[in-house]
Amino acid sequence: MKRSLFLFALAACGDLDNFGGTATPLATITVTTTGDFEAVHQADTGEADLHVALVWSEQWFPEAMCFLPPESPEVATVVEAGCRDPLSFTPSRVTAVAPLVPNEPVSLAITDLPAADLMVGTVNARVGYASFVVFDDRDHDGVMQLPRPQRVPGGGFEEPDPMMPMEAPPFTTIVYGASFVSMTEPDTRLAFREGDFIESGFYPRRGCGEPLPSFSVLSAGGFSFEDAIAATLAGTLPSQDPATCSERSADDASVTIPFRAPAEVSEVACEQRRADSSVRYRQPPAESPDFTDRAFACAAIPNLGGDPIAPEGTVQLVISSRADAPCKSITHFTLFGCDEDESLMCDAYEWDFRESPPAWWPCPVTR
Amino acid sequence: MRRTLLALPGLATLLLASSAHTQPAPTPPTPTAASDTFAIGEGGDLLVDGGLVLGFPTALPTGLSRGIGGGVTFGHCPLRWGARAAWVTATENGPAWEVTHSDLRLRVTGSAQHDAGRGSLGIRIAAGGTLVHESRLRNQGMRAGLTGDELETSTFAMLPAADLEAVIGLKILGPWLMIMSGGPSVALLDGALRTSWTAQLGVAWQP
Repeated sequence: MKRSLFLFALAACGDLDNFGGTATPLATITVTTTGDFEAVHQADTGEADLHVALVWSEQWFPEAMCFLPPESPEVATVVEAGCRDPLSFTPSRVTAVAPLVPNEPVSLAITDLPAADLMVGTVNARVGYASFVVFDDRDHDGVMQLPRPQRVPGGGFEEPDPMMPMEAPPFTTIVYGASFVSMTEPDTRLAFREGDFIESGFYPRRGCGEPLPSFSVLSAGGFSFEDAIAATLAGTLPSQDPATCSERSADDASVTIPFRAPAEVSEVACEQRRADSSVRYRQPPAESPDFTDRAFACAAIPNLGGDPIAPEGTVQLVISSRADAPCKSITHFTLFGCDEDESLMCDAYEWDFRESPPAWWPCPVTR
Repeated sequence: MRRTLLALPGLATLLLASSAHTQPAPTPPTPTAASDTFAIGEGGDLLVDGGLVLGFPTALPTGLSRGIGGGVTFGHCPLRWGARAAWVTATENGPAWEVTHSDLRLRVTGSAQHDAGRGSLGIRIAAGGTLVHESRLRNQGMRAGLTGDELETSTFAMLPAADLEAVIGLKILGPWLMIMSGGPSVALLDGALRTSWTAQLGVAWQP
């Protein structure tokens, strides 16, 4: 009888997990940092709370002004100050974060696949790319915030309240390194491939091998901006040096990230307001914007062909982001326009200051 | 839906009118179904039943288990005893896992039953164990190329359990009955009692 009770009690000892227990990582990548962190640490930000994050990319097309030949030296200065590298890695979503100790390996567990909107291709042949980003988590919440470029305050409903001066929110993310910064540099990226692989202009790796099915870690040497322009004009993709290429399974891959100054890599975390190269022309404020540490110029409205987006001779005021801003951007002001339309050919203008431009307006007035 | 509801009173009116117009003329009485139209047997000491089982999973915190069950009952009314078995399964999804629980419920039973005409009403106490097979499939694991234990885990657990069910039987034809039962169930899971419910609808054979 006692034996029966013992066996019964033993049988009752189930080890069901239900929905609990540790979720098996879909992939685990070892990340190691190299270099002297203190040499690049922004001392005025206090003690760093370093983390590494997996940041998935998106397709991004820069606005025309940023890659067309500048029409004047002043415009060139604005482009230099306000345009990010057109071949930059552009972040979309952060899906994994882990604390990091400088120069010590850390395992970054990936528990989710990239969503469909992060992948490019068809349902049976699509791929997504991600960069491993080392950052200082300023608010210590274990989350990587993706900052957005700060625009110059405009007029209309964006008119700043004089009682509440607009201040840029403090950035909670300071980037100190990334495995994939730009296609103009050597990069190491995480790829997730589903189905076949179709070569495309989405962070291209022409000349390298295809990403392996599922997760893989890819490396390539990069190409110059000039090569990219030349290839585009020739109707092809810029090529990588095959000697710099590698494709490794995520199971046995490790990633090494050198510490770099935030100014060199901060754009890796900058979420872009627009990804399709379109521009929003905005109403100028009644009072003069603060031009301190900003470049500005009067410029024509660039057009890449197709339907005109502005009356001929329209002049815009372009103002760059501040020199110390982590995310570069250009703010576009025009004397007439409409909030709901990306072109300046709208039926009814929501603002039109051509008859009485603001006193501070530095550009010619066209009617 | 709203149109259907509005049409219902009109339809009812039409049916009533139609019924009034088609009131049949008096006709010779025809045989109607009576209690002896479908002869039923007296029934012996053995009753075998089986049917569809529904209920809350024994160990899974959510979902609805579905399956089949059956049993055998011996003895004279009002007190009877027997044994029962049921197999039910439920699958639910969480953030990381798709979990499937298959429960094999094995019970010995004792019941008190009162017969009235074609029907019978009883209460049944059952005790025994539930063998739970848990299968967990990692969400997105196949797309990510996981294999083996990283993709799927499987385990068994035997849980002591007991049920208290109301049982309603209705003799239909000869030795055949329709049986319904249902009531609360309790199992010992991780040192704590876990309550649930179970129900069955089926047929029985009592020669």
